[in-house]
Amino acid sequence: MNSIVLESAGVEIPPVDGTGTAKTILRPLSVTLNEQRIAVIGANGSGKSTMLRLLNGLVLPSAGTVRVNGLDTRTHGAAVRRSVGFVFTDPLSQLVMPTPLEDVELSLRRLKLSKRERRDRAESILAAYGLSHLAESSVYELSGGERQLTALAAVLAVDPSILVLDEPSTLLDLRNTKLLHERLAGLPQQVVMSTHDLDLAAACERGLVIDDARIAFDGPASAAVDWYRESVG
Amino acid sequence: MRGHAHLVASYIAGNSPFHRMALWRKAVLLLAVAVLCLASPAISVTLGVIITTAVLIAAIAAHGVAGLPWGRLWRAVRIMVVFLVLIAAYQWWQHGPATAWQVVAAIVATVLASNILTATTPVDELLDGLGAVVRPLERFGADPERFSLTVALMLRSIPFVIGAFSDVRDAARARGLERNLMARSLPVVIATVGYARATGEALAARGLGDPELPGEQ
Repeated sequence: MNSIVLESAGVEIPPVDGTGTAKTILRPLSVTLNEQRIAVIGANGSGKSTMLRLLNGLVLPSAGTVRVNGLDTRTHGAAVRRSVGFVFTDPLSQLVMPTPLEDVELSLRRLKLSKRERRDRAESILAAYGLSHLAESSVYELSGGERQLTALAAVLAVDPSILVLDEPSTLLDLRNTKLLHERLAGLPQQVVMSTHDLDLAAACERGLVIDDARIAFDGPASAAVDWYRESVG
Repeated sequence: MRGHAHLVASYIAGNSPFHRMALWRKAVLLLAVAVLCLASPAISVTLGVIITTAVLIAAIAAHGVAGLPWGRLWRAVRIMVVFLVLIAAYQWWQHGPATAWQVVAAIVATVLASNILTATTPVDELLDGLGAVVRPLERFGADPERFSLTVALMLRSIPFVIGAFSDVRDAARARGLERNLMARSLPVVIATVGYARATGEALAARGLGDPELPGEQ
């Protein structure tokens, strides 16, 4: 079982000119994330994305520590990123290569496979996601849903044990959102995601509501969704 | 953002002799095309015209042998037409029609040859090739993986920047600001910087560029 431990982890941005006060992005928070499906919900700008970025070392805490399976993100960033896959809101910024096949192959380069093995594995991964027919299409020609699935496939290609998703369905239509729900439901990985899709959030085991850069509610996901709805009014 | 991927020569799957040819052979052929086109006029203008024309015909024929769509050949030339006309006009004025033809034919032949190379070679294989070229410099601190990834990112960014120009131009038109240089350029700069930041973050998130860990060598 994976273990993500945040101990008094907070994020502040120092003033640009060196004077004045630092801007608090995330107040120091202590929380342990062990559940298989965790939803992080809250208003835009509340600190959800910053919290998720702490989990794979994309953002380092200004204070406190973040440990993933015992590894500190500050001192073992590369090792943490090996085990924590991250999917962004806009998949187009995440897909680096011109085609889905090449992007999945790029992920696999780290595994030092032969060219043939890399190609075969990339093709089988795309096939598993129903993307074989798009393998050699330009990433610019894919629909939003196809791009998001491709980004997911590229991240999962190297088999991370934890998957972090930052508002993965924000740019998707209803059909693609449903498809994403189905894909996520079948994953063996621990999944931590921020989302405005309260149905997706309610289906998780645990829900965190982030408000004003702090955890305002932490409990069963359905209770977190109810609490969030009531707080919005 | 509107897609402009067609402006960059991406890989087209196939089984032509060029698809099966080793990358280094294709690179040597491309180099030969460039050398023939650039060096032959140094011997004589007539010889330069003959050789460059022959190379251009060979490049067009190779395009057919590679099984690439003719529309792609035309697109590769079309985006250069304005520059080719200007270059031809200048060369004609300065050196006459033979030189004008030789220079234009040399540029088109070289672009077509490079187009064939990129269209018949998967990016993954190109990355390996670039990495192999840089590998001897590893002892001086060069990182082959990072070098080839940088080139891939550069290729990948071209459609975005062109798309940003198109989108911003349309937005400026919609607001009646098509003649406002600031309205047409500043958003492109901002969008491009934002794209660079997002790409950097995505690369970091995927661990691309991270050092190899013990046991991964």
